[in-house]
Amino acid sequence: MLTSVLTKTLRDQARGLLGWSISLALLVAMYVAIWPTVRDEPSMSDFLDQMPEAFRSLFASSGADMSTPTGYVQVELLSFMAPIAVLMYAIGAGAGAVGAEEDRHTLDLLLSNPVSRSRVILDKFLAMSAGTFLLAAVMGLALVAEGRLVDLDLAVSTVAATMLHLALLGVVFGSLALALSASTGRTGISRGVPAVVAVVAYVVNGLAPLVEWLERIQKLSPFYQYIGHDPLRQGLDGGSLAISTTTALVLLALAVLGFRRRDVGA
Amino acid sequence: MVRLIDLRKRFGKNIALDGVSLTIGPGEVFGYLGPNGAGKTTTIRLLMGMLQPTSGKAEILGRDCWHQPVEVHKLVGYVPGEPALYDRLTGRHHVTYCSHLRRRDDGKRAAELADRLDLDLDQPARTLSRGNRQKLAVVLAMMSSPRLLVLDEPTSGIDPLVQQVFHALLREHTASSGAVLLSSHVLGEVERVADRIGVVRRGRLVAVERLQDLAARSLHQVRASFAEDISASDYAGLPGVRDLVVNQRTLSCSAPQSSLDALLKRVSGRQVVDFECAEAPLEETFLSYYGSEYDGKDGADAY
Repeated sequence: MLTSVLTKTLRDQARGLLGWSISLALLVAMYVAIWPTVRDEPSMSDFLDQMPEAFRSLFASSGADMSTPTGYVQVELLSFMAPIAVLMYAIGAGAGAVGAEEDRHTLDLLLSNPVSRSRVILDKFLAMSAGTFLLAAVMGLALVAEGRLVDLDLAVSTVAATMLHLALLGVVFGSLALALSASTGRTGISRGVPAVVAVVAYVVNGLAPLVEWLERIQKLSPFYQYIGHDPLRQGLDGGSLAISTTTALVLLALAVLGFRRRDVGA
Repeated sequence: MVRLIDLRKRFGKNIALDGVSLTIGPGEVFGYLGPNGAGKTTTIRLLMGMLQPTSGKAEILGRDCWHQPVEVHKLVGYVPGEPALYDRLTGRHHVTYCSHLRRRDDGKRAAELADRLDLDLDQPARTLSRGNRQKLAVVLAMMSSPRLLVLDEPTSGIDPLVQQVFHALLREHTASSGAVLLSSHVLGEVERVADRIGVVRRGRLVAVERLQDLAARSLHQVRASFAEDISASDYAGLPGVRDLVVNQRTLSCSAPQSSLDALLKRVSGRQVVDFECAEAPLEETFLSYYGSEYDGKDGADAY
């Protein structure tokens, strides 16, 4: 596992990723476990209907209907908890990619080897992306497998599509964190800025149906690319995939450029 | 092997390195001396391609350190002042990782080096003492048989026995025409291995000298007592004599070897009661020539 910067980084993350995977499986299990109660309680849907429109808009992307498996998963998991979990991991991994090694001065050791700075960033990006996809896959698997136990039936294909979009959401913010960490070497900024941007993007996408000027910029929000087309019902959306992938690649390029120009350590 | 051409580095308003030019040839050990903060580490980080020069350039075997870092790093082994290691990895893990990054199999050479330095490669880095971390950094730097070794204050924290092994390793390295850049804030650490020394101070290289030449100018402490009062004027003006103090019937001064004959003849013109002459340690010679530049005592702004 010590054959390249990529495998070394994955090795470093192995314990963390195991922890994240177990937590996500448990989180999904918790939502799955209360599904039968919610399904048999029609007042839950009434409650949702009576919610202020702003809340409903934020927490239930479209077709908020807690009595169907799709509607339930969308409201409870996909609109809030799932993106938070994936973003926390991806932003942490992106910010730590360069920042953590710089803080511990191991970047000196790494960069004194004949490894180009571009290679380092590329490998760190691949490790962060691999971790993000892994977590999304674990969540999808947990959702389908655990859901079967209580008749929370979901189509494997749309769950897979949703998780792919979710992973890309994570990779976009992880790449932003990576770009900041590569260009500044400061872990704090690299975590904080993407977190704030994520909250803003979330609110923009969530409140867009209610606020006219937000609607105009809604499509800029990575959250729109993630859930705007209702992936749990509609499956993959080519346009959104292309936009998210391009965004991540542009941020990756900025990370490489930023890192190549910068003084390290000092 | 190493060529620095009017190398400058500025951090904001702070000029860390102000036009250093220097060459180091194959088989040479260059001792890079100066007080802390004089620019030694900045020079080394520029050489390692960690920093971009503000102007001028640094080259190793004709490759530009900033623009061709991968080629340069293939030729260089680097031991930082405070070796940073991956806490959870053992020495052997470090060796494996760096070997892969260098695309070479240096496991055997690393084991041999570790053995000579008496370092256990199976301990996790976080449990290693400062001295052992230094040793591991030396193993990692030397295992790929680089052409140039860059060592930033490498022997602080290593015990004297290990230091002997370390010096032997350096000699083997130079015997196979490798070069060494060795930085330190004390001459004592480099005088046994260095061929030339350079003194850096406030970002400028203030002196470069062959250690042999310095030794030839090595000062002798001379004391003489006389049976009668003497006057300073009799002894002033002797070429090379420094720090002359005459106190009624005693004289003390320091003089290089080349001045001893003339001094002795002058002294023997009087009735001598006692005479002492001892070679001073190189450190003192060095200080008396470069003292103010070297120890930084006069510089409140020595950053």
